[in-house]
Amino acid sequence: MTTEIMPGLALQKVDERIMTLNVGPQHPGSGHMRIVVQIDGDYIVACDPDPGYVHRGEEKMAEYRNYITNIPHLERPVIHDSCNVLYPYVLGAEELLGIEVPERAKYIRVIASELNRCIYIMYWLAIYGIFLGHSTMFMWPAGDREFLIDLMEKMSGARVTHAHFVPGGVRNDLPPNFEDVCLRQVNYFEKRIKEYAAVFYDNPILISRTQDTGVLSKQDAIRLGTTGSVLRASGVDYDLRVKEPYDVYDELDIHTNVMKEGDAYARSRIPWLDMMESCNIIRQALQKMPKSGSVRTKLKPNPKTKIPATVYKRVESGRGSLGCYIVSDGKTEPYRLKLSVPSFRNLIALPYLLKGEKLGNMPSVYWSLNYWPVEADR
Amino acid sequence: MSTETQPPDVTPKEKPTPAKKPEEKPVDLPAFEKGLSDKITEKFGDKIEVAFVKEDRVRINVGRENVHEVAEFIRDELNFDHVESVSGVDFPKDKEIEVVYHIGSYTDSSLSRQILVLATRAQREDNPIPGKDATILPTLRNIFYSVEFHEREIFEMFGVFFEGHPDNRRLLLPEDWADLPPLRKDFDSRGR
Amino acid sequence: MSVIAPKFKLSEFIKSILDDAFWAILILNLIGIPAVMMILFFIEMPVIHGELLTPFLALSWIADPTRTLPIIQSFMETDIFRVMAFPGFGFAALLAAGTIFVERKMLAKLQLRVGPFYCGKLEGILQLMGDGLKLISKEIIIPAKADKPIFWAAPVIFVGAAAAFVALIPVAPGWVVADVDLGLLAVFAVIGFFPIITILSAWSANSKFPFIGGIRALFQMVSFEIPLILSLLGVVILTGTLNLSEIAASQSNFPWIVFLPVGAIVFFITMLAELERIPFDLPEAESEIVAGWLTELSGMMYGLVQLGTYLKLYAFAALFVVLFLGGWNGPSIVPPFPAEIITDGITMGPVTLKVPGLPIFSQEMLNGTLWFVLKTVGVIFFIILPRGVFPRVRVDILLNLGWTKLIGLAFVNIFIALGLLYAGVLGPGGLQ
Repeated sequence: MTTEIMPGLALQKVDERIMTLNVGPQHPGSGHMRIVVQIDGDYIVACDPDPGYVHRGEEKMAEYRNYITNIPHLERPVIHDSCNVLYPYVLGAEELLGIEVPERAKYIRVIASELNRCIYIMYWLAIYGIFLGHSTMFMWPAGDREFLIDLMEKMSGARVTHAHFVPGGVRNDLPPNFEDVCLRQVNYFEKRIKEYAAVFYDNPILISRTQDTGVLSKQDAIRLGTTGSVLRASGVDYDLRVKEPYDVYDELDIHTNVMKEGDAYARSRIPWLDMMESCNIIRQALQKMPKSGSVRTKLKPNPKTKIPATVYKRVESGRGSLGCYIVSDGKTEPYRLKLSVPSFRNLIALPYLLKGEKLGNMPSVYWSLNYWPVEADR
Repeated sequence: MSTETQPPDVTPKEKPTPAKKPEEKPVDLPAFEKGLSDKITEKFGDKIEVAFVKEDRVRINVGRENVHEVAEFIRDELNFDHVESVSGVDFPKDKEIEVVYHIGSYTDSSLSRQILVLATRAQREDNPIPGKDATILPTLRNIFYSVEFHEREIFEMFGVFFEGHPDNRRLLLPEDWADLPPLRKDFDSRGR
Repeated sequence: MSVIAPKFKLSEFIKSILDDAFWAILILNLIGIPAVMMILFFIEMPVIHGELLTPFLALSWIADPTRTLPIIQSFMETDIFRVMAFPGFGFAALLAAGTIFVERKMLAKLQLRVGPFYCGKLEGILQLMGDGLKLISKEIIIPAKADKPIFWAAPVIFVGAAAAFVALIPVAPGWVVADVDLGLLAVFAVIGFFPIITILSAWSANSKFPFIGGIRALFQMVSFEIPLILSLLGVVILTGTLNLSEIAASQSNFPWIVFLPVGAIVFFITMLAELERIPFDLPEAESEIVAGWLTELSGMMYGLVQLGTYLKLYAFAALFVVLFLGGWNGPSIVPPFPAEIITDGITMGPVTLKVPGLPIFSQEMLNGTLWFVLKTVGVIFFIILPRGVFPRVRVDILLNLGWTKLIGLAFVNIFIALGLLYAGVLGPGGLQ
């Protein structure tokens, strides 16, 4: 019942039974995105996500800056997980520029990446608590992630948007005595997050709200191309740190957490298990790291790539596999840079899962897809 | 929506071949990836061109008439099951827009590191009217469901219309965008 | 408010004080006293020591403290005092303010943070006053197509209904605003008002989110009213009366919760649902429907609704105490006043006041009030506690709970009460 009056202006007849609700950008339950839901009573009939409110044109801006000055703006899609957003870019740039990374820098990058993953997942858990109406679940993660933000601040100087990775290594070496402080804080952090089981994951009201809602079967998860915790909650054992290890992940012992149910409860539990796994990885990396050495291979001021080439690198970030496709034509700026972000890939599961759900389940299903609206818009 | 000018039949075989194999020794190529590219070459022969075979990455360039068949073959015979990302690259000098699909596999454990890069080219117009000019490609959505939102984004960012896509609408741009598609090279974002 | 008087001159200060005093005396005497006389023409004045108390007599007695006491005592027996101050609005508002402060601090400690801290010298005590001032100073915005009379009236009626509920609760023996023989039935009638007010307020706002919130509030309150009423019937069966003061008095030996624990639990859960507290705060579910039926209320209208909500909280907790925990009964820990105080006045060390009839409140009343307040505070603590522990339930789980499980448990409770009665454990031949 939609007639197009002019290009871009459509007239839609209002159905008497179906109400169109705008869970819009100014809504405590939507993040920086608009979801247009059509509901019939309490059931959602159709859902149309409308991202794009935070689109800043990262990919276009990358074509005007050279490989070093690209770094501060490319980490903006996810400000607290910024190391993981930069990671595929610096790996790709290193391959294009043909430079080797020293060993200590690789370990520092691994530690920073795992810390960022935990910081992001804690923030995500806090917002999940708000969406479900659980204020304690908002306050505890927001407070406990301060330990890790403190570590990142010691390492890079900034609490968020660290801009610490450069093609060739990391910007600066770790401050003295960092290893001890890091170990102590990570141990305490792990003790704190183990308490979340009692207040959140074993909470009968949470279980009744998220179990068996928004079930994504294994074939659907693969067919829709989802990634990250959404995929692992549906039973697919796929983690890029194990399957396609980059930097020094092949020397570390990583266990992938997989759950079979594929409902919102599983999707909310897997990141928590991943965080405890990250603490293990940090401890191993701290042990194996070479105690001294250079952390950066110096580049000439305006680095040019050697030959026209294309490269596609991917990395497991807090939300899933993040890829970076760089096309270069031998100049100092990339010809085209494309970030393939996991939130955008998981977005396709949203209209698929919400059809037929109750309106009360919308926040829990929507946020359980590990969706970060700012990243999806780039 | 159909053509004011017939899209010329630009298959890669008319291009000069600087990236062809004769200079490289076959023993340098990684074996598993070479096996993949060989399977595709033996099925489709001249319709495709193997751009490179590197560790974990195999790149195939196809013309726009054959991309649908090749994608179907990739899904059915080679066990690739989802598309990771779709990118568009604008080449104003060649008057073409290249669309690159990165295809991966979750089910087949031998393919878990591999990404197959499938590239096609669409004809580029100087004054684009998105949706109503000759920049058309067949959609791969009925083969790989996961390209739906990616192809919508390429439509709005480059002006490439995907024929057969159920919902060619704007995704990220505002509804009243009336300028050039932004990621084209003649759209200069500096000073705007 | 930072610099009071940059250039302070003592003479100007004294001049301004004398100015104010002059005007105050002038207005008070020329206009105030005749106005008071005209009003008092219509109000009944008490008779004290054989004399009718007129305003001039009262003003002359106030000068001498020994003769002020009868005035105060007779004032305390009037209805106005009961409605405004002691078991009525003033007392309830004080407890409500205390509840708000304790709630914010307690939740903060549970969530590893501090809570209100800067407003007021001691741990943010004046935060509530600051919030009240802020709400008063905000602009009240009415949606364009809202139904204005109902929209304006709804918060006021809400506070009125909550105050009516507070008026029925007995605090100490003999101290209740409205001593109704069918007290419990009146309570049910008043509780039945709340869903109507909510849906009127939500509907008249003419906007989608309040609409959904109002409908959800209606569902929730209506479906939990039946278990609420049924769970209290057990107490009525055992006591044989609907009068709240008599129910409280009947628990002088043991509270009813000992015999009817199931009913107490059912009443507690339905109480949480009627108060729209977490885990049942669907009508204000913030993440789904912005603020539910409170979305379009701004400024003091929102303040009135919050006041009404906390009055309701106090009233429900007090009802729980009266019905299940023994009301004002408790061991006498307020010491009895020595007899000389009543006849001769206080002679204790530095304080000497030879006025008969001094303790304004009797020992029984003080004791009763103390125990009542302690028990109510305890119940309020348990009402606040789930807010830090549970997320919000979904609407279908809520309805399932109210219509099936709680009604079943309430009937089990009634059967227990009937069994106890007919087995002779309680009632005429038994323990009581």
